[in-house]
Amino acid sequence: MLKSCLRGLKIYFYMVGVSIKTQLQYRYAFVMNILGWAMTYAGTAITMWVMLYSFGSIRGWTFWELLFLFALAVLSWSITMVLFFHFHNMDEYIVEGTFDRFLVRPIHPFLHVIALKFDVGAFGQLLFSIVAMIIAYVQLKLNWQFYQWLVFLGAIIGGTLIQGSMLVLISAAAFWTTRSERLFWALMWPARNLMNYPLTVFPRFIQLLVTFLLPFAFVNFLPALTLLDKTKESFDPFWGFFSLPVGIAFFAICFKIWNLGLDHYKSAGS
Amino acid sequence: MMKTFKMYLEFTRKSFQRSAAYRVDSWSRIIGNIMSLGIWGCIWFALYHGHDSVENISFQSMLSYILISMALQGIHNAGTPLWEIQYRVRTGDIAFEMLRPYDYPLRMLFTDLGSISFHFVTAILPLYIVIFALFQPDIPLSASQWGLFILSAALGYLIRYSLELTFGLFTFWLIETGGVEDVFYFSISLFSGSVVPLWFFPDWLERLASLLPFQGIYFIPNAIFIGELSGQEIWPALLNQVIWLIICYGLLRFVWNKASMKIVVQGG
Repeated sequence: MLKSCLRGLKIYFYMVGVSIKTQLQYRYAFVMNILGWAMTYAGTAITMWVMLYSFGSIRGWTFWELLFLFALAVLSWSITMVLFFHFHNMDEYIVEGTFDRFLVRPIHPFLHVIALKFDVGAFGQLLFSIVAMIIAYVQLKLNWQFYQWLVFLGAIIGGTLIQGSMLVLISAAAFWTTRSERLFWALMWPARNLMNYPLTVFPRFIQLLVTFLLPFAFVNFLPALTLLDKTKESFDPFWGFFSLPVGIAFFAICFKIWNLGLDHYKSAGS
Repeated sequence: MMKTFKMYLEFTRKSFQRSAAYRVDSWSRIIGNIMSLGIWGCIWFALYHGHDSVENISFQSMLSYILISMALQGIHNAGTPLWEIQYRVRTGDIAFEMLRPYDYPLRMLFTDLGSISFHFVTAILPLYIVIFALFQPDIPLSASQWGLFILSAALGYLIRYSLELTFGLFTFWLIETGGVEDVFYFSISLFSGSVVPLWFFPDWLERLASLLPFQGIYFIPNAIFIGELSGQEIWPALLNQVIWLIICYGLLRFVWNKASMKIVVQGG
């Protein structure tokens, strides 16, 4: 068991190393890509600032709190992108028949797909989120206790797992329908936009949906309540402690569904 | 003259028919538009919570603003996306366009007109009639206000079209437009007032926005629609749009001529 795990890791790092090298081939494009991502997110933050300039706060959240909430989501999303983003167009491998090649290789197809790419371009988002978070931390005069650092760490790992699982789940749809890209835009894009704002902005049924069914609330909103000492919300701050367990559980479920899809898969035909 | 116009109209007709063939595309676009509208509606509702009016704008007016803004964005998005133009430049397909006996920027405009009218008639118009009937926000009351709004929205469309195509043509020189492109899109989305009207900007930023061409894209037509710009105030705003359109179109022509001279087909 341990031996096969180690072998898997070794293969993963080897394949990922190749992927990084290919991306670094085009230096100029690589730097532009990173800069581009950082600027896109900075643009969203500036829009938030402009919006709150005349209003002061949204549902009791000031600009710096909002920036913190946003940066926390971007932080785990950037890690998700590095590790899992290529899952959103796994359908291409299926349609083109490349996926069938993965099936005859002596490693688990999931390991093969996850090792296909290591998206270095997402470092632009990581850069933005870390800078934004430090600014917000200083502006809000936060001084986290030890348990809050644990919640923070849990939110990053849990958030990465939750969003990664979503991508895995979406890609699994391709096993049945051979298409998943559209589902990605229909699900992930609105979900990620929702996450930029406090959940209390949205109607009750959406709050319940993203807490219990597709647990996006555990990516940033619930941990942020704990991290910003927000006690007057409709959710108790203790919810923030559960990001990591929810992430692990959700990942286990999605991985299971992916494998079910794999069993069902019968090639794209011809 | 008449004959040339007819030829361009043929592109419009063909693209209208093509849009009708790709239904799923149309559906996913409209679902995306509804979700954006839902998210921004909730955000503005939450922002206005506890305020009657901010900067003299009531929630009723703001609701109308965001609704018409999203409807216009739905129309704008039905046109050819920027990446497609860039893709044609990168692959060299643009060379074939240049060989043909028409003017590429004009042909694109007429092609987009076809997909837009299809999207407008089958999706945007029915959808927004229902939404406006449900929420009953402020709408133009007189025929002249409707007319001026439509004129202003059309000018806004042409400004955005000229700017975006000009930008797309920069691919001739830059090949990779990554970072610059993001700044361009950010400027359009913020300074056009697409989701946050210029009234709510800090004074210095509002002054900056009023010096840029982007406000003509959504902000001016939206403001006319909700009656915030009315009477004598409309004329300078429309004049501003016309002047910017002339400048942007001139820029497009200039860049297009330069680009035609400079064509480098990669990998040829």
